[in-house]
This record gives sequence, structure tokens and C-alpha cells, in this order.
Amino acid sequence: MKFNTVIIGGGLCGLTCGIALQKAGRSTAIISTGQNALHFFSGSFESLTEAPARMADLFGEAGIRLHYREGVRLMPLGTFRPAALSLEDISFFPKPKIGEKALIVSFKRYHDFFAAFLADGLEKQGVACRIEWLDLPELEQLEKSPSEMRSVQIARTMDRIWEKVVGEIRALVQDEDIIILPQVFGLKDTSVPIRIRESLPAQVVFVGTLPPSVPGIRTQMLLKRRYELLGGTYLTGDEATDAHVHEGRVHSIVTKNLDNHFLEADNFVLASGGFFSKGLKSNPFHIFEPVFGLDVEQAENRSDWYHPQFMHDQPYMAYGVKTDAALHALREGAPMQNLYAAGSVLGATRPEFGSGAGLAVRSALAVVDQILKTEAE
Amino acid sequence: MKLQEYTESKYNFEECMKCTICTAYCPVLQVNPLYPGPKQAGPDGERLRLKDPFFFNYALKYCLNCKRCEVACPSGVKVADLIQSARIRYDHSKPKLRDRILASTDFMGSLARPFAPMVNGVTKMGVTKAVLDGTMKIDKNRTFPKYSGRSFEAWLKRQAPAQAAFPEQVAYYHGCYVNYNYPQLGKDLVKVLNALGVGVQLLDKEKCCGIAMITNGMSQQATRHARHNVAVIGAAAAKGLKVVTTSSTCTLTLRDEYPGLLGVENQVVRDSLLMATRFIYEKLEKGAQLRFRPDFHKRIAYHTPCHLEKLGWGIFSEKLLRMIPGVEFTMLDSNCCGIAGTYGFKKENYAASQAIGAPLFEQIRNVNPDVVACDCETCKWQIEMSTQYPVANPISILAEALE
Amino acid sequence: MDKNEYDVIIVGGGITGAGTQRDCAMRGLRTLLIERSDIATGATGRNHGLLHSGARYAVNDPESAEECIRENRILRSIAAHCIDETDGLFITLPEDDLAYQKTFVEACRKAGIDAEIIDPDLARRLEPAVNPDLIGAVRVPDGGVDPFRLCAANMLDAKLHGGQVRLHTEVTGFIRHGDTVVGVRTRNLTTGVAEDFYAPVIVNAGGIWGHGIAELAGVHVGMYPAKGALLVFAHRVNNMVINRCRKPANADILVPGDTVCIIGTTSTRIPFEECDTVAVTPEEVTLLITEGAKMAPVLSSTRILRAYAGVRPLVSADDDPTGRNISRGIVCLDHETRDGLKGLITITGGKLMTYRLMAEIATDAVCRKLHIDKACETATTPLPGSEERSYEAVARKIWEAPSMAQKAAAARMGTSAARIQTGDHLDEALICECEEVSVGEVNDAIERLDATTLTDLRRRTRIGMGTCQGEFCACRAAGLLAKASGCVERERNGIADFMQERWKGNFPIGWGDTLREAEYTQWVYKHVLGL
Repeated sequence: MKFNTVIIGGGLCGLTCGIALQKAGRSTAIISTGQNALHFFSGSFESLTEAPARMADLFGEAGIRLHYREGVRLMPLGTFRPAALSLEDISFFPKPKIGEKALIVSFKRYHDFFAAFLADGLEKQGVACRIEWLDLPELEQLEKSPSEMRSVQIARTMDRIWEKVVGEIRALVQDEDIIILPQVFGLKDTSVPIRIRESLPAQVVFVGTLPPSVPGIRTQMLLKRRYELLGGTYLTGDEATDAHVHEGRVHSIVTKNLDNHFLEADNFVLASGGFFSKGLKSNPFHIFEPVFGLDVEQAENRSDWYHPQFMHDQPYMAYGVKTDAALHALREGAPMQNLYAAGSVLGATRPEFGSGAGLAVRSALAVVDQILKTEAE
Repeated sequence: MKLQEYTESKYNFEECMKCTICTAYCPVLQVNPLYPGPKQAGPDGERLRLKDPFFFNYALKYCLNCKRCEVACPSGVKVADLIQSARIRYDHSKPKLRDRILASTDFMGSLARPFAPMVNGVTKMGVTKAVLDGTMKIDKNRTFPKYSGRSFEAWLKRQAPAQAAFPEQVAYYHGCYVNYNYPQLGKDLVKVLNALGVGVQLLDKEKCCGIAMITNGMSQQATRHARHNVAVIGAAAAKGLKVVTTSSTCTLTLRDEYPGLLGVENQVVRDSLLMATRFIYEKLEKGAQLRFRPDFHKRIAYHTPCHLEKLGWGIFSEKLLRMIPGVEFTMLDSNCCGIAGTYGFKKENYAASQAIGAPLFEQIRNVNPDVVACDCETCKWQIEMSTQYPVANPISILAEALE
Repeated sequence: MDKNEYDVIIVGGGITGAGTQRDCAMRGLRTLLIERSDIATGATGRNHGLLHSGARYAVNDPESAEECIRENRILRSIAAHCIDETDGLFITLPEDDLAYQKTFVEACRKAGIDAEIIDPDLARRLEPAVNPDLIGAVRVPDGGVDPFRLCAANMLDAKLHGGQVRLHTEVTGFIRHGDTVVGVRTRNLTTGVAEDFYAPVIVNAGGIWGHGIAELAGVHVGMYPAKGALLVFAHRVNNMVINRCRKPANADILVPGDTVCIIGTTSTRIPFEECDTVAVTPEEVTLLITEGAKMAPVLSSTRILRAYAGVRPLVSADDDPTGRNISRGIVCLDHETRDGLKGLITITGGKLMTYRLMAEIATDAVCRKLHIDKACETATTPLPGSEERSYEAVARKIWEAPSMAQKAAAARMGTSAARIQTGDHLDEALICECEEVSVGEVNDAIERLDATTLTDLRRRTRIGMGTCQGEFCACRAAGLLAKASGCVERERNGIADFMQERWKGNFPIGWGDTLREAEYTQWVYKHVLGL
């Protein structure tokens, strides 16, 4: 099968790249090894404060609206982080004292949302807090399972009964100016969080839970749907296992599912992610890129890969595939003519693109520009 | 090899990062709280089972084996294989008569086929359904697949001389459904392949792929079938024949479940075995041509069966259907229909089965297509029963659109 | 009598201290146990968890071997829920001298250890993970023992006999009247509160830290710390203990323990200052993998979960005035006869296997001082939880159709699992999904087993000991701790401490899936949760 561009990796970076290319009239395929890191998305695009040119359009057309205002956002353990470009689910505040009184609402028997830590964190900022636990008959079925009272399963129920739940929350509100809810609303429908905000008498703040992330899954679903609507081919659960390379050009990709049916293309984008996503792999001796055997920036001595403090920035997280100025991936020191690297697989080798989601989106768009520019030439 | 250069584990269970993604995609979890879910039943449970088989949990039987957990897993853990293989290793309870009957699709087919009109009439009757429901725990709301009066094998045998005349040949693993219930699909395949200049042969006595046996606790019988099928497919492959299929579940079983769950090595036949849609697509890609009716017009909603999604070959069905002029194509959201072979026939699973499929049925009603396209026979029963929309294999749609 | 007065104070919450407290309490003494950190934090919790048959010592130290096999049999009957009756193999590899096998088996038999030479073929069948190239095998009654559980059960029994326990409490000095020690000064390390406790006899059971405790009292116990490094593999590859049939050396024991298996150990003398900060070096990791793979080749490609090191409290011979105790390993020093300091006893040396005997010896010494004549009953009285031998039977007795988590609870808690059967779904929700630990079990550890931090909970319940090393369970369990203690801020900060403690064991083997897991965990805690 032949495409203009084959993208390895179906996360934020791969999808951004795919959507932008489809919009530019190119035929693309995305190879996605299962689902991706968007499922642990906090709702905020780390290292971005405003949407890079085109990002707001691309996301808006997919039904995802983004916003940003200077200040802080409330994290699930009751701490604060500087604001970043975020989904509409996320609220921003000028300062950590986010209000006078907060009502924190959770569900009985739900352990993945940390009401007590939130209350403690807020009270330290002078916000009086009250915690209420909803006991909903609709969740009884789910509560019977010892392990599956998770955000996404609750969200499925909430998609059906959120209006009723909002009614119950409204009855709980006394004189609070802030209502804090777990991010379990609007798994399929972006408008639900907004409608909840409209129907409650105080400012509603949605705060994250343990994974999976409901806004993250929704974002993944909307981007993928948009990509497919533009005619993109999304190969779910497949994996690039090998590549045919000739004189610095990739000719085709071998995948686990399509075995001897190779995927040919003019351009290839490696958006395969970091260690978790297996874009980078490691053994006791070195860190490597498994599909093409690209050059990877790394410390030679394994002891230097880590910082002994867990919360410290870890050196290994900065390692990534080496590229030239135009993001062509390097193999044995030489740039591959039609293979570009983008997103977390770059590690921190290209600091100008930022990190996390910012890196994913900025480098994806840079690769798209490069592909279109090269074709024009 | 250097020490720890790579690590490996049974069905990759150690690659599980405990990220919980699989739980978001398991259709059973959404409807059945008794099921521990793919993470707990799969990689989490495996570590305990390795300590002591006592930790095996009988609730693993609620797994549909739809493999959606595997498709969703970012780590390559073969979650469903872990669950099914645990059932094979540790569930030594004898399968019930009902399960044995449901699992023996070819045996039942060969018994029922000569009396097809009568059997079809009887299984349609309310009283029969009530008896099956009460005594056999086969749900009374289920519509039974009809049996055909004449088997596909018998039909194709008659065509053998004509088929042999084609310059290129393939063998067809038709499966029980085409043989006993719906020979028309086989005939449609012959029509399409003939139009491409390819003649169709039978294998030397294929047997049921055995998937229903695997999921109903009859892995020994399934293993016997597997050995037989690998031998006959191998014989065809040795003659240089490709072996094509029209059922995604049979294909997944023949290719992946044999070595994965039954330990029946099939590497020699794996490359020769492919879905007919892929075979046809690859022929067209190499320049072969099909001529379509100019007046053909259909709005088609395509449902990717779970096992085709696992195979990763839905792309071929999609591309073929989109190729037909006059087709308005809608890709339905990826969603299990809930039947999962014999699973949905069981009384205890009926409600779960329908609840799992509900979002799919709703989407189909919203799209309101002329026909739902799908490469799986049990999805077809389920969708036709639950939505009243006709369901056709992409091969049948191609056949109908041919000039 | 003052509330801070006891008959005996035991310093040190390792297995020796806990065992001694149990024995003393069972003999009717009013006991207090003081531990600087948590139970089983020293050598007790940092070894293989091997239920020695004694075979390992049979050739070189027959007395230890006899003690081991005696205690082995006793523990099987009194501590069933802490014991995994796996049996063990001593294998001879082509590079080993097969002649040693004969010497070994004869020594075992002399010590009373049932050692049976079996055909290598049978060994391969019994233990499929064993190196198939083996040329000889001996089957012995080795097994697994969970030191955390054992320690907790001893302490619980002491409490059931009226004993009191102060964890996270440091002894800052001794209170002396002339040549007699009459009490200890302490400081609670969590609250900072200082408190004095009095007793006519004080037992120093501080393991390697006993050296420093003795110094606080002005006496010298000549000990030397020997570091031993071990690796935890992420699942059980073997279901029998595998040893090398040769003179004891580095990394020649592979023990299946609960859901994992452990290879060890090395032995390196270290300075005292390093006892609290021992770390595993890359060289040790390489050595452990290399040697481990010789016994079970699959280890060369099995995911490693952690590396850790313990410090053995070895007592140097030159300092022992009698010289008698050294060969036995167990050293019980009466500082009155030895140093002229009344009221202090040091119990040290020995090993996890012989803790009960050590406790008996120490308690005998305490009783002599208090002029109490009461026989030791610890060898025949089951520990709480061990009243039934099979956890399968326990689980089926408590629950009609036990779930995986309920089975796991029965395996960990024995008959005590009945405590968490409340019939409330709330208690059945899982906190740790890798090790199947429920809300009920965590709350039980908080209420009954004195757990006050996440790491305490880990030792008592196995939360955070599974594949994900605390990815989800740390926050969930911190929530329960916060509910119990009301100290929300402290429990939240405890999450970072816990993750740091997990990371310490992860990064020395930080490659492959372990590194993936680490990246994911960091992402979740930093960017998703905002730790």
C-alpha cells in the first residue's frame, strides 16, 4: 500500500502531523501500537502557553477548544502548577487562593480522586473546604467490582446521568463559590463539562483523577475521528517492526500485522514516543531506537542515566533520537533523506520545541512544514 | 546474547505497565461487574497464578476473547491470550452439554443440514426456544442461524471442472458458516475471484477452526482440529496455493490462536493464509481490474469485527468497498457487537451481550444505511437480530456490484 | 506503678526483638518494644526470605545446620502463614565438583537434615527453571519465609499478651543508677516528643545498630557490618529454592517468595557509617545476574524489579570473652557479667531462621535476672494467623467463592484474614492491584499492626511491592492513612518519600520495562497528579 506519508505513532504528535498533512491534501497512514499517552493526559499541554499557529484551528476543527490565561491551575493532590494551554475542562486562577469556600464532591467508594488532599492544599491557601460524597444507585453495579471503580467507567455512567447528578450537587451547595469535581464528565461529549458549569451556582473546577484520563481519552477520540474524516488511515494495534532503507532513503515499513504487505511512502515520520511508548528502548548497555536503529543521544555510562532522587529531572528522559536542523533523523551520523523524527522520541535534544505536549505539537507541525517545503522544491 | 539484553515473558505479561488503558476498552467490564477486567484477569492475575494455580478465578469465563484489550495495549501484552490460556491451563471443569453443542459448529451443521427446513422451522418456534431456554440455557430471544439445505462443499465440488479451467488457483477455507448456513457467501467469493481470473478449490477436507471449542473449555478437541487444518492448509501451500478465507474469526484462529493458545505450530502455513479481501486488494494493487455495474448505488456502514481489528486487516475491506463506484461509505466507530461467537447465545450472557452491542446498534440506526458491511458471521446474526438492518460480507457486496 | 514502667524493654523491632518481646510477653512479663524505624527494616527485611533447611551450613557449621533444621520444623508448625513449603534443590553444574555432593549429603544427614540425591532428570521435571545442564541434584526441605509477616505476627502476639510497641521512636540514651541501667530515653521521630521508659532489664536487639545502642550504654560489642546485595525478579520463575551444591559463595541462592523470586547475595565488609545508606553497585548487579543465570538460565531474560542490600550483624570473635558463642552464630551477652553493667542484655548474631531460638535464649536470660521460672512456649504455640496450615482452606472457610484478592489476603494473613471479612463492598475495593491488597487489609494493618506510613504498610501488606512499584497504590493508600491519622499533609508528603524509597531500588536495574515503568510513574506523579 502506498501513501504520501507514513507516520509511526498515533498519539498527540502523530495525529497532529497526520491531520495537518491530510488537510494539505496528502494521503497518510498512522501506525499506532495500541493506545497512547493521551490516555494519561492532564488536560494541559505542558510547555505551551498559547497555541502555535494552526494548532487552534486543527484542534478546533476536531471539536477541541483550547484556552489559556496567566495564573495557576489546581492539581489532584492539592498543589498548584503554572497555567498552561489547556482543554476547556481545566480552570485557571490568578492565585492559589481560588475562592472563599469550596465544595469538593466525590463518589462513595472512589479511591482515585483525592478530596482530602485537595481540601488540605486549598485550606493552606485560605479556602474553606467541605467534602461531600455522592452515593448513587447508578454506580452500585460498578462498586461491586473491587478494581474497576475507575474514572472511565464512572464517566460512562455519568454520560447517561450527569443531569441528575448535577441536580444532586446543586442541592448540596450552600454558600460556596467554588465546586470541585473529579474529571469524570464528558467522555464522549465535549459539551458536558461546559453545560455542567452553566447549570451550577458556583464556579466549577474539574480536577484530575488517577489514569485513565477522561478528557485525554476524549481528546484522542476526537483527533482520531477528525483524522479519519479527512481520509487518513489509522492502523490501530499494529506496530512498525522493520524498515527497508536504501542509500539513506526509507522505501517502506514492515508492520507486525501486515507482515509482507509493506507500507510504502515518500516520507516517513517517526512519532513513536519515549520509553513508555517504546519509541526508545533500553537494556543494560545502551539506549536505542528499535525500528531504524537511529542515533540516540545518551550518556555512555549507565550510572549516569539516572538521578538518585525520584522527583529530580532524570537524565534518561532527555535522551532522544538525533536529528539535523530540518528534523531528518540521523543514522550513523548521516541524515535520512525522507525520515523525520518528532515528539517525545526526540527527548530534550531539541529544546526549542519545548517538552511534553508542546514538543509533540510544535515538532509535528515543523515536520509537516518541512515535508511540504521539500515537495515544493 | 548478553545478559538482560532483552527480556521476555509469557504473552508479554511483564511488559504490562499497569497503565489501565485495557480497562477502558473492555466491552465486558462496562456491563458485567463480576468480570475482573482484562488487567486483573490478565497480567495482574498471571503473577499470582504462577505462584499457585489456586489463584485462578473462574470469573475469567466472562471474557469474550474479543481481543480489544490487546489492540488497545500500548505495551504489546497479549492480554486476551493470557486469559484464555489461563482458562485452558487451570479451568478443569467439564464443559456443559449446552456448551459442547454450541461449540461443535461443524458436527451440528452436518447433522442439521439434511433436515434444514425442518430444523429451521423448529428453531424458529417459540416452544422450541422456550425449551432451549429452560433446559439448555440458550437464550430464548436469540435468533438461530438458519441451516442451508445444500452444503457449499457439495456446490463447489460440482463446479470443480469449471474452476480448474482458470489460469490462477486459490484454495478456500470456507468455515462452518459458509458450508452449512450461508453457502451464498462462498458463491459470491467464487464469482469475484473468477472475475479476476482466479479459480477456487476446496481444501482436502477442512475442519471447523475450533474457536468455539477453545472458548468453551474443549481445547483438546480444538487441538485435534488445529493439527488437521494446519496439515491440509500446509498441503495446499506446498502446491503453491494461497488459502483464502471470508471469516475474520476463523482466520485469526488459524493464524494466531493455534500457535498462541493451542501450541500448534503453523509458521509454514501462516504466510499462505489470508482473508479474501486482502488477496483481492493485493491483486488489484498489482494491476488486476474489476468492472463494476454503473447503476450500483448503496449507502454502506462498515463495522470492523473485533477479530479483524486484531488482525489489523480491516483496511483491506475498507479500501475495497470505497473502490466501488456508487458506494457511500461510513466507517462505524470501533465497538464490539456483543455476540462474540457462542458467548451471546448463552442465557447468562444475553443481557450483557445486548448491552455491549447497544452503542453500535444505535450508531447504525443513526446512519441508517442500506446495508451494514462486516466480515464476521456472528456479528451479522447479532446486528441483524438487534437492528433489523441487513448485514453483508464485503465480498458479497463486491459480487453484487460486479458487472 | 508508673505507666512508663515495664518488666523488660526491648530495643529493636527486627525479628529478634519482636520474637523476644513475644516470648517475654508469653511468659507473663510486661513488655515494651522500641524501634527507631519500623518493624523488619534492618537485616530482617533485607535478605532472601529463605527458610533454611540448614543444608547450606551442614559442611562448614554443623551446629548452625542443626539449629536451622530444628527451627525449620518449628516454624512450619507455628508460622504456617509466613511459610512457603517449596522444598529446595542443591544443584551441581558441570563447572562444579560432583564429589562435593557426597560430602554435602553426609553432613546433612549427620545434622538431621533430610537430604535426598535425585536424578537430574527428576530435578528438571520438579523445577523446570533449573539449569538443564545440571549434573547432580539434592532435594532438601528448604522453603520460603516472609520476614515482614513473621515479624508482624510476633509483634501482634506480644500485643495480644499485653505487650506495648513504640515504632518510629529512637533510643537517645540510657538512664543509669550507678552501675545499673534502669531505663531508656527516647524521642518519637514523627512527633518529636521525648519520653523516658523504665524497666529492670533492657534487651538490646538492635542488629547491626545494636553496636551503637551498646555504645550509648557505655559498653562495646564488637560487631562488623557485612553488606549483602540481592535482586528481585518481577515474577516467580522457580517454585523450588535453588542452591549451588558447593562451598557457599556469592549469588548462589534463588528463592521464590510470594509473587517474586530473589537471587543473592554478595558479602562485602562496610564501615558502620554506611549501614543506613547501603546501595547496590553496578558490579554487584552484574555479578548477581551472571551467577543467577547459571542456576536458572531464564533469569538472563527476566524482568528485574528491584535491587536492594542488607547489612548482616556479624560479631567479631576477638571481642567475645567466652569464645563459646561464636561457632553457634547466636551471641547473647549479659553485660553484668561481661562489663559490670547491670540490667542490660545484648542478643545478636544468629539469623532470621533462628530468631525464635535467639528470643528464647534472651528471654531465659531476662527471666533469670527477674527470678522468674517459666518455660518457653513459643515453639509450640502458633502465631496469630497460623492456626490453619493451608491458605486455600482458610480462604474457602472465610469466603464461599473467594475472589483473587480474598485468596491473596488469606495467603498473606492466614486465619487473620477473617478480620477483613466485613461483607461491605467498601472494604473489598483494591488499593494495590499488582499484589491484590484491599481497603480492608490496609485498614487492618493501620489499626492492628501499627502501620503509620506507606512504607510501613508495604511491609505488612505488600502494597507497592508488585510490578508497578507504587504507581497507583501509593496515593490510594495515602488517602486511607490520612483518613486514619487526620494528618493529611504528612500523608501526602509521605507519597514522595515512598516513591523515593521505591526508586532507590529501581534505578540500579533501570533498563527495559523497569525504565519504561519509571518514566510512566514519574509522568503520573509529576504531571498528572502534581506531586
